[in-house]
Amino acid sequence: MSDFRSSQNEAHPNKSNTLMTGIILILILVISIQVWFLYSALNNALDDNFDIAVATFLGSLVLALVSFWILRYLPDPRQPKVKKSTYNAYRPTQKSS
Amino acid sequence: MAEDKNKQIPDWKRDFPIDQEESTHVSRREFAKFLGLFSGALALGNGAIVLNSWAFPEKDLEGEHFICDENEVPVGGMKQFEIRGTKEIPYILIHLEEGEWRAFEQKCTHLACAVRYRADIQQIECPCHKGYFDPRTGVVIQGPPPRPLPQLEVKVADGKVYVKSFKDTPYTS
Repeated sequence: MSDFRSSQNEAHPNKSNTLMTGIILILILVISIQVWFLYSALNNALDDNFDIAVATFLGSLVLALVSFWILRYLPDPRQPKVKKSTYNAYRPTQKSS
Repeated sequence: MAEDKNKQIPDWKRDFPIDQEESTHVSRREFAKFLGLFSGALALGNGAIVLNSWAFPEKDLEGEHFICDENEVPVGGMKQFEIRGTKEIPYILIHLEEGEWRAFEQKCTHLACAVRYRADIQQIECPCHKGYFDPRTGVVIQGPPPRPLPQLEVKVADGKVYVKSFKDTPYTS
């Protein structure tokens, strides 16, 4: 019997793929902004501009929290396919009574 | 048959039945998690900059320091000197015109190469990446340096040249 979730998955087989690509792109965008912040903070701290260092740190912290939070929406890992022959080969044989 | 095969497999392999291909494979899920970790590391790095500039602020140079006699550096000439404090910072003293002196840190604000004054073009040049600074204000004219050169105030008294840190704003022209 198929439920709502399995019907959805059948209707949109590429859903996980799109979701994963989207999350990775967002993470790369977040990291690019953080690198920019870090560069600005370093340059301004060297120029005795403490306020910029604090502002960029807060921004970077918020972006890091966003990137942690977005990991919640990663699609579930693919269930490993157990090769029957291999699996059985590694299992100790059971003696049939 | 199954029993024969079982005997051929060594004990260590029986304990870890994972294919080599599976063990070296990095999934997109793991890659995304790594990006999240990297993002956290960047935020920490930014925090370290804040902590560093809060806990160890740059100290201004204290007192006046004698550099040389006035007649040691001709007009258009440059003298390199160092002031020993908490750390040794190299500076350059420039004699721009009669009675007009400037002193700057010698480290380029781009990648800390040693800058030099070129009298023929009347600019301070960083030879590494062709950065040019205004010799009167230290402002960047051209090239990759992101900030002006830090400068010291120069005082000439009784034919002797002294430097000290600026109490007010540095020279702007």
